[in-house]
Amino acid sequence: MDWLYVTEVALAGLGAGALYALTGVAFVLIYKATRVVNLAIGEILMLGGYVFFGLVAGAGLSIWAAIPLTILAGAALGAVVERALIRPMLGESPISVFMVTIGLGSILAGVVELGWGADPLRLPEFIPNTPIFLGEAYLAPKVAYGALVAALLIAGAVIALRFSRGGVALRATARDQGAAYSMGIDVGRVFSLSWMAACATAAGAGVIVGAIGGISPTMGIFGLSVLVVVIVGGLDSVAGALVGGLLIGLVEALAGSFLGGEYKLLATFSLLILILMVRPYGIFGTHEIERL
Amino acid sequence: MRIGTFKLSYAADEALFDTRVQWVWLALLAASLVLFPFVAGPYWIYMACLVAINVASATGLNILTGYTGLVSLGQAAFMGVGAYTVAVLETRVGTPFFINLLVAGGMTAAVGVVFGIPSLRVKGLYLAIATIAASMILHFLFAHWDLTGGTRGLSMPPASLFGIALDQPHKLYWLVIPVTALMVLGAANLFRTRVGRAFIAIRDRDISAEVLGIPLLQTKLMSFALSSFYAGVAGGMWAYFFRVVTPESFPLINSIFYLAAIIVGGMGTILGGILGATFMTLVPEVLKLVVGWLTPWIPDALSLLAPIRTIVFGALIVGFLIFEPQGLAEIWQRIRRFFHLWPFKT
Amino acid sequence: MAGLALGAVEARAQAQEDIVLGGSIPLTGVFAFAGVGIHAGIQDYLKIVNDAGGIKGRKIKYVAEDTGYKVDASVAAFNKITSQNKVTLYYGDSTGFAKTINPELERKGTMIMAGASFASELNDPKKFPLQFLPGPDYTEMFGILMRHIAKEKPGASIALVYSDTEFGRDPIAPGEKLATELGLKVVEKIVTPPGSVDVSTEVLKLRRARPDYTIFHGYVLAPIPEFIQQAKQMGMQSRFMGTFWSMDNSMVQQMGEAADGFMGVMPYRYYYDKEGTSPMLDRIRQMRPEYQSTAYMQGFLTAMLMTESVKRTLDAGKELTGANMKASLNTIKDFDTGGIIGVPISIPGNSLPVGRIYRFDAKQKQMLPASDWIQLGK
Repeated sequence: MDWLYVTEVALAGLGAGALYALTGVAFVLIYKATRVVNLAIGEILMLGGYVFFGLVAGAGLSIWAAIPLTILAGAALGAVVERALIRPMLGESPISVFMVTIGLGSILAGVVELGWGADPLRLPEFIPNTPIFLGEAYLAPKVAYGALVAALLIAGAVIALRFSRGGVALRATARDQGAAYSMGIDVGRVFSLSWMAACATAAGAGVIVGAIGGISPTMGIFGLSVLVVVIVGGLDSVAGALVGGLLIGLVEALAGSFLGGEYKLLATFSLLILILMVRPYGIFGTHEIERL
Repeated sequence: MRIGTFKLSYAADEALFDTRVQWVWLALLAASLVLFPFVAGPYWIYMACLVAINVASATGLNILTGYTGLVSLGQAAFMGVGAYTVAVLETRVGTPFFINLLVAGGMTAAVGVVFGIPSLRVKGLYLAIATIAASMILHFLFAHWDLTGGTRGLSMPPASLFGIALDQPHKLYWLVIPVTALMVLGAANLFRTRVGRAFIAIRDRDISAEVLGIPLLQTKLMSFALSSFYAGVAGGMWAYFFRVVTPESFPLINSIFYLAAIIVGGMGTILGGILGATFMTLVPEVLKLVVGWLTPWIPDALSLLAPIRTIVFGALIVGFLIFEPQGLAEIWQRIRRFFHLWPFKT
Repeated sequence: MAGLALGAVEARAQAQEDIVLGGSIPLTGVFAFAGVGIHAGIQDYLKIVNDAGGIKGRKIKYVAEDTGYKVDASVAAFNKITSQNKVTLYYGDSTGFAKTINPELERKGTMIMAGASFASELNDPKKFPLQFLPGPDYTEMFGILMRHIAKEKPGASIALVYSDTEFGRDPIAPGEKLATELGLKVVEKIVTPPGSVDVSTEVLKLRRARPDYTIFHGYVLAPIPEFIQQAKQMGMQSRFMGTFWSMDNSMVQQMGEAADGFMGVMPYRYYYDKEGTSPMLDRIRQMRPEYQSTAYMQGFLTAMLMTESVKRTLDAGKELTGANMKASLNTIKDFDTGGIIGVPISIPGNSLPVGRIYRFDAKQKQMLPASDWIQLGK
């Protein structure tokens, strides 16, 4: 066994996992506040990558101006989507809302293809390029910096959720909508805020993911892996998204390098089935008790 | 104008088609289906076969999702199982096509039951996600198993009936349409039986259904089996229709397509499955036509077709869910009601 | 002139029926970049032929439909086009389509077909008697690459990186066999799942193998640049190579820094190649002042070979059936393509086993020839 190789693979896996975790956090934010499983998260992430590309390559903005604008655009998209598509579905069956997000994903993919074409594109290089060695082990710089940024963003999200007014309101709403409402929390605004925060996070993640592997209208498939992440971690748990993201990143990397690239998805989805059978509500998820 | 129907027996009340008018319409429909291949061009016959295959599969999904309330995003992968079964039987064993189709249905039903097992533990969204996992795993099998020809897939000879090779849409039409008609009728009748009613009870409230003495596990798996059987037979017909089966023939997006078809058509109605599958199959063709007309004005209109199709697909799902959750079947009912009540209510 | 006039008379004697070239073309979807080029290439060549009076006075009409690179849409387009026109020539968009439609093609027996697929499987005149490939099949591309490698560095080690698709897996097994025959070592095979973007673990694997050459197959662009970039960061000395569909100049330019030194096999000459006399390339440059992709050349050459076989069939006074046209196509020997391919070509079977190694030059931002024309089987 080549331990250096295993370490390098594990590091690369954890780096990729950090991005899964970040997108997973976005996913969990929406689920916590509105109980919507948002399958369009991959497409929102993709749109983030394209908006960034459009701002830099199309409008000629500098990278450091484009990143905040991309995140703002993500937030705006979140607000619009919540208002136009999700609010009218309030009270409908979760499946219907879930299908709405699938439809939304399809619309976004089409819009991107209409605007930028179907060919894969590459984002301008902005992540430092010097190779990183942790001891002997090599770590691709893009992955390392991507993971670092993701970790910072996640830390920010966790702190905001814990201490900020909006975060407390969101957690209160997640616990009990009625009680939160009667305590004077504007639940509708919380819904809106959670979508904005989540879509902004996803758009930011899209910039990083796009910088690593380029952007294309099919990169929404990233969302499928994120879906596995949040199911494994538990749909309503930020900690779950973190652990799930790192775990799935690790599993994919190990399966990919020791079994072959074609086993990546097989490994993660087998893990998903296993988790669903053993612990359907995820590692950290809340088990909901059903009453008649 | 019709105000109501007067029934003298329970049998009449339970009948699938309860008035003479309905029988007349049905006969007209059957007659036009028989006449269709003699008047329509090859392209339209081709489309008719494709529509029929999609109707069969959507009806199967409707049994599971529309009537039993178990959402599945694995329908396309299940069709793949049926298609591969047919292709393997046709190339390696050489059994006649009706046996192949039945075996394909049976095989897919078995696979469906295996992947339906998570439905004991999870339901709703979690089940939908479990079926995504199922379709990923099936895909892996299709692409990496020697029996299924790996990524190259399998090519197969046409079905043959009394020595006539059914190698053309206008010949296959006589296989696809009757089989689909039988399957749709079967599904319609299913919900007049105990099993079918049990499905509906589970959909409406599974815990109540259990209290009423419906064995949940058995019934849910039965629903999975039936729905997968439909998918398998539809997949088998698909295989005879295209005569090549590759792992890329049944992507996840096709599962979404079938789910969208029953949403657009109307969940939990047989008519909904038919209308939805027909509508969703024809929309891209209509779009193609429209884009074709636009070409003189917008020279690269053709290159806009695919993204527009994707957008329209998504917009149809979202639009129907928000504005017409009961789907086309409900619109159809409204039109019928209008004519029934016509002179009185305008 | 006399010949032309004679042709005109003869044509009048025949029914003045147009010859139809139908096409399932992927103008949208994942393969759109190729489809758009192919579409333009076919149109341009037919324009040249028709402007010169067609074949024996018969014009060639091009009827195409977009497929989005989906097999069922391609079949639908085929059915629609063949039911509304009397089709003699057909262009298909994928391996799946070529295989699906083959029985139908044989049953009709009225046309020959070529397409965007260079699948090795199609290169079998027995199984696919009415189809041809306007270039080397993928295995032959590997053959050309490996011959070049064997010449440049005998006994070199090779890594194969390919996508987990039919396209990607096509030449892998025969390619490995070929490598052994040529005395090369295949030290690593890396499969990437379709649509994957993050390749850091795969690069780690590649680094362990330390190949002298890395051949990518089954991609258009992503994830090749990322692969090369990370490999270079790790100080790998491997040379990177690609096959036809990842060799277009504008695509390689998109790779950025990673493009420098990228090599690969290409059966056609590039748009900007001004070496020697090449009337057809001059004509193309005159019709289209801006760069045209290698997919354009593919469409152009396909149309050329198709019309040539129609011409030869009509010249021999035979009926335009699929079998006759294919037989005429196989009589093509030492044929001058007007510079699209640098050497005279012959089509003994279903493919055109010829190609050349090109290497990307970062200064000129162009793929430039790095070898002579390599003809397999000679």
